[in-house]
Order: sequence, then C-alpha cells, then structure tokens
Amino acid sequence: MIEKLKSNWRLTLLAVILLISLFVVFSPTMAPQTNVGGENATTGDRLTNLQYGLDLAGGTRIRAPLIGMTAEAVDIGDESTTNVAAAVAAELPDSDTTDVTVRRGTINGPTVEVVNPDISESQFADALDATGYSYETIRDGLTQETRDEAINVIEGKVNQAGLSGASVQQITDGTGFFILVEVPGQDRSDVIDLIEQRGNVRIDIYHDNNGDGEYTTERAVLTQNDFASISNARQPDDRSPNPRVPVSIRQENGIAETFQSTVVETGVAQQGGSTCRYEENPQNTDPCLQLVVDGEVINSFGMNGDLANSMRTGDWARSPSFVLTTTSFEEAQEIAINLRAGDIPAEYAIDQGTTSFISPTQGENFRTDSLIIGILAILTVSGVVFARYREPQVALPMILTAFSEVLILLGFAAYLQYPLDLSVIASFIAVLGTGVDDLVIIADGVMAEGDVSSRRVFSSRFKKAFWVIGVAAATTIIAMSPLAVLSLGDLEGFAIFTILGVLVGVFVTRPAYGDILRNLLTER
Amino acid sequence: MAQLSVPTVDYTQYSNRQLVAVPLALLAVALLVIGGWYLFTGAPANLGLEFVGGSEIRIDDPGGNAAQQIETAFSAEPSSVRQIAADGTYILTFSEGAVETPDGSNQLSVLEQQAEAAGFSIQASSSVSPSFGANTQTIALGGVLVAFLGMSVLVFVMFRSIAPSIAVIASAFSDVMLPLAMMNLLGINLSLGTVAALLMLIGYSVDSDILLNNSILRESGDFYESTSRAMRTGVTMTLTSIAAMAVMTVAAYLFGIQIMTAIGIVLVVGLLADLMNTYLLNVSLLRWYVNRGVKA
Repeated sequence: MIEKLKSNWRLTLLAVILLISLFVVFSPTMAPQTNVGGENATTGDRLTNLQYGLDLAGGTRIRAPLIGMTAEAVDIGDESTTNVAAAVAAELPDSDTTDVTVRRGTINGPTVEVVNPDISESQFADALDATGYSYETIRDGLTQETRDEAINVIEGKVNQAGLSGASVQQITDGTGFFILVEVPGQDRSDVIDLIEQRGNVRIDIYHDNNGDGEYTTERAVLTQNDFASISNARQPDDRSPNPRVPVSIRQENGIAETFQSTVVETGVAQQGGSTCRYEENPQNTDPCLQLVVDGEVINSFGMNGDLANSMRTGDWARSPSFVLTTTSFEEAQEIAINLRAGDIPAEYAIDQGTTSFISPTQGENFRTDSLIIGILAILTVSGVVFARYREPQVALPMILTAFSEVLILLGFAAYLQYPLDLSVIASFIAVLGTGVDDLVIIADGVMAEGDVSSRRVFSSRFKKAFWVIGVAAATTIIAMSPLAVLSLGDLEGFAIFTILGVLVGVFVTRPAYGDILRNLLTER
Repeated sequence: MAQLSVPTVDYTQYSNRQLVAVPLALLAVALLVIGGWYLFTGAPANLGLEFVGGSEIRIDDPGGNAAQQIETAFSAEPSSVRQIAADGTYILTFSEGAVETPDGSNQLSVLEQQAEAAGFSIQASSSVSPSFGANTQTIALGGVLVAFLGMSVLVFVMFRSIAPSIAVIASAFSDVMLPLAMMNLLGINLSLGTVAALLMLIGYSVDSDILLNNSILRESGDFYESTSRAMRTGVTMTLTSIAAMAVMTVAAYLFGIQIMTAIGIVLVVGLLADLMNTYLLNVSLLRWYVNRGVKA
C-alpha cells in the first residue's frame, strides 16, 4: 500500500491537495472569522467559504485619484509647519490652511502640498516664491503620508455611515496613485454622496463687533479637533424644532474657555441670547454662529438665552456641551459623520476616475449565469475529448484532472479570501482550456507509436511531452504577468488566477495525470 | 457521438511559397485594416468605454414600448442600446459629455437620476472618465508590448536558433493581429476584456507552435511524420479550446456578461487564426529551415 502511494506520489499529492481545497472551500471551520459582508453576509454564501466580489454580490466600486500638487525639498528651516502652511495659504488665491499641508520627514521632504483644485502649478510656484521658501520641484500628486491619511478618513466615513464590509485601499498603475473604494450592497449615489466632498467642518462667527454695520467673519472658532464627543444626529422633536447634532467641546488647553470668551466677546452670547437673521437679512442681524462645510455656509444660528447666560457667567466651560443645528436631518447625519471621521486631506476626484455599480439582484444573476457557463464549458470540453479519444479510460481521467485544477483554484480563492469576480470566473474557464490542452499533449505524446508497455519508454516520452508543457506554461505566465502587476482594474484577478492555474497545472495536476496514464498503460 | 478525427494534410503537394501565401495575405489585409483604422480614427481599433470614457447603465425591461420610454427618459441619445436575451434588461451606453451636467455632478449621476425619475430600476452602472481611460490605454498597450517581447525572448532562449523562433513569433504576431482586425470589421470595441484575451492568446497560441517545432526539431522521424504527429495533437488541443471558448462566448452574450463575451470572441477568432498560422506559416518556415541547403 505504502509502496504504491510512494510510486504514485504525484497522484497522492494531487489527492491530498484536492482534499485540502475541498476542506477550505466547504468546511465551516474554515469560514472567515469576520464575514466581509458584515451581518447581512451579502458577499459570501452559507454553503461555501468563497467570497464574492462586487460583480457577483452587488455593490459599488470607485477608483479615483486624489487631487493635489507637492513641492519637494522645500527649505523651511526651523519654522513650525503650521506657520509655513499659513504663510503659503495666505499667498494663494481663495485658499486657507486646510488647502495646504506641510510635512517634514517625507520622501524628498520637507514637502508642501496644495490640495485646492483651482490652484495652478504656476500660482503655487508664485506663492512659494512670495513667501521666500526655496524648493526643488513641484510635481502632481501627493505624499504617501497624505494618501494614507485620506484612506483612513474615507474608511472612517464609510464605517461611520454604517456601510459594512467596505474596503478602501491604494492602487497604482505605474503613472500615479488611485484610491479604490469598494462597498458591497450599496448604491452608487449613496457612496458618492458620502465621499465626494472633503467634509471639512468648522464653526465661524459672523458679527458686527463695533456696531458700524460692517460685518466680519471670525473664522474657525471651532474645528474638528476641538470636539470631545459627537452624538448621533437627532430628528426634530419637542425639545427643538430643528434637526441637530449634540456635541461637547474639549476642556483641555482651555479650548472650551477660549470658545466661551470668543462667543461672549463677539456678542453671540449677549444678554438674553441672540437671534440669527443671516439668511433673510445679513446686514441687520444679531451675531451668528455659522456651520461651514468645505468653505460653504450650511446653516447660521443664534443662541438661546439660557445657554448665553451660562456662557456669560463662565459656568458653561465646566460642562461644555452644545448643539449644532442644521436645516435637514440628512445634513445633520453628514455633519456627524464628517466630524467623527475628519476631513479627507484632498479632494477625491471621482470625475477623473471610474465608478461601477452592480445591484445585488444582478450580482446574484451573474453568480448563477457564470456557474451555468462554467458547467457548459466543462461539458463542451468533455464532449470534444471523448469524441477524440473514444476510450473512457484516457478521456475520463483527463476531464477529472482538468476539473480538479479548477477545484484547487477555488480552494486558493477561499483560502486567500480573494473575492470572486466575473474576470476570475473567466480565468477558471481559460485554465480549464489550457489544462486540457496540456493533458492532450501528454496523452498523445505518451501513446504515440503504439503501446507503451515499459516504464522506461513511458517516462522518456512523458519527459519530452512535459518539455513542451513547461515552455507553454512559461509563455502564458510571461504574457499574463503585466496584467497581474499593472492595476488594470478587473483584469488583475483574471491574470492572477490564470497564472496560479498554470502553476498548479504544471507542478501538481499534469504530473499526476502522467501517473494515472502510466498505471493504465504500462505493465509491471 | 461523432468521431473527431484530425485530417491529415499532404504537405508534399504544396511548395513553401504556396503554403505561406494564404496566411501572409491575410496578415497583410489585417495590417491594412488596422493601419487604415489608425489613419482614419487615430486608434488601431474601436476603443470601448474603458479607454475613451463614458457611462453605461443596465436597466430592467420597462415593459411596453421600451425604446420609446428610453428615448424620453434621458436628456441625451444613448450611443448604443442593447437588450440582453436572458433577462430582458437593457444596456445603454452614453459617450462622455453627451449629457449636460450641472456643475460638480458627474454624468452618470445625472443619468441615474433620470432613469429613476422615469421609473426604471437600475441593475448596474459604470462610468469612466476620459483622462482615466487615456491612461488605461497607455498601460494596456504597454502591457501587450511587454508580454509580446517577453514571449519572444523566452522562445529564443528555448530554441536557440533563429528561424524556428521567428516562425513561432511570426505566427503569434499574426494570431494577435487577425482578431484585432476582425474586431474592427465586426464593430467590436476594444475593452479591458479583449486586451486580456489578446494577452491570453499570446500564451495559448504558442502552445501548438512549440509543439510543432519540438516535434520536428527535437524528435525522431522525418519531417512529414513529425508534422502530422504534432498536428494530430495540436489540432485537438486548439479545437478543444475553441469549443470551450465558443460556448463561453455564446452563453455570456445571452446573459449579458460583457467581459466574458469579449474574452471569448477574441480567443475564438485568435485560435482559428492560430490553426492556420501554425499549420501553414509555421510549417513552411520549418520545412525551409530543415531542408535548407538541400535542392528540392
């Protein structure tokens, strides 16, 4: 028995690998710990441990660049990065410090990044010249640090919005970087609404301090980092007629106290509170707090008497909670998400990328459809092979061997948790095709010129046939490798699984088929 | 079940010149088509959405007079409308810039809103921006070139003699060019799927060429014996692949799975071209190589 297993070790190896693959695909013990699909488990099914990609499960995929320019090797001496950012922003038209990021310790640093999409390269160069910071080059694109930050923030937003199973990652096509966002089961417009804006939230105060009718805006009296906690958005109720987001302000470093005194000084917290009429009559209103998102005023509101009084006595800063009112509940939700996740450090330019959406029902249809196509392909190949060889003892093992290649690939997919997409299914069929091709080469090579009764003749013929298979496999791998490396979207999966399939074929299944044939054809 | 027997060709009846005439003539026509396409359209093939940008929406069959409903629903005329046989859905494509968009929103978002307003249910949608598409074009072209060069180098290293290597490479080149020209004539757009198929073809098509070269150059037996042996195996292989791919193409077309249709059709045409190139072009080049110095 052992002797037999040993002499047929290739066949034994195939059997073991097949068993492992079946185990990985079907065993519940191998099920992923955290289902990528979240509680509703849209991306997997119960029967197998296979993960389905967006094509087969439904969902939205967005691939787009972040917009910005980076000046490299900027000589900023010992100056603080905040000061440099403020100085550069001041020289740029319509920009503020949220549009400029200064970093030390980056590649070719220190770097200054500008993310305002309306700024041209020459305007950026002029601004740097005006501030007197010398630099080496200005290039398109951002630093890795900023891209990482963007990925974190986008992930945060998607998670805050309760879209489970989403993935956000950086990909490159060799010419630039893109951020790939995949959200299973979600409509395209929902995802776009969530991330197309940078989502920078701040509070300004609009006031006429000296009472001469000239209103000024005190900018950024509160920014994202000043908030200690952000509650969920609330619908209008009997406590307030407006949708709103209750928040509390940090007490450390005197943040709450500074805000308190600014609010009192500007008159928002005047005796008896303030009523904001900014919308109707901006030239004749009490001082207003303004909720500003990405530089746009979303809502302006005053302060009720009680709150104003506790600010005036200084009590408020000891328990600094506060309410941001909005004009709609959706807006309140957006504000809450933006405040928690922070702002994306650069604009995510969906208009310069690609988007795709597949509805969950369509995904399910594609799943059945591709299964049917796969079965049809197997049947066709079987038909041709039977028609050609007429001997079931040659043809049947051939088909089973080719099919086992696909099973092993499924095992890989389940083990790697690689999401199956249409292109991956297409690669299975391509692998089935090359697999059978090579088995035909082996069968014909071995059986040529009559009977192969001696083992020596068999193995010399098998080796010759295998040379052809090896070269053919190497060419396929070489031809496919550009696709596996370049991120041409959907084709990566096709290339990876075709290459994997060829490797499995050459090292496992095709040698095993040799063993089968030898047992059938040779005598001891 | 019908017996599949590979026909044997009596190569002795034809001169090398006669044998190469057909594949070379077809290759010349293919190159003319591709060159002409390049001159007139600025691209060697009809570039699909993924390369030039645009939007695509797949909607459920609205019932009734669908064409009418689609026309009234959208503010722009779709550049193509196709109904999928299997589920009755419609796939509509719009070229980039076809729809007027309010500032800051993209074309597909506008189209989706129009579709929803008309009561269509959206099954799938995708958009590609022109700049992204142009980028993809460059990368895809680079990928095909790298793959082809890599294959050529490998073939040279494996055979270590010029003529047989050239025979393999020439036939692989023709295997890629013929389907490309065919796609132009049939009005099939070049998409990422077809690029993948062209690359796959480079891998697939050399199989039978290598088999032939190997059989003639490295195995015993005279030229015609070796050729017919290699042909028996090679034709079986290629026919198996063609059958599998043809089934995939037809089924995927009926189900409206575009990436599989694209991969399948290119492989079918390419493999057919490969049959011709291997057993006409490659065979005659090898016969010339084996008999060189021998007066016929």
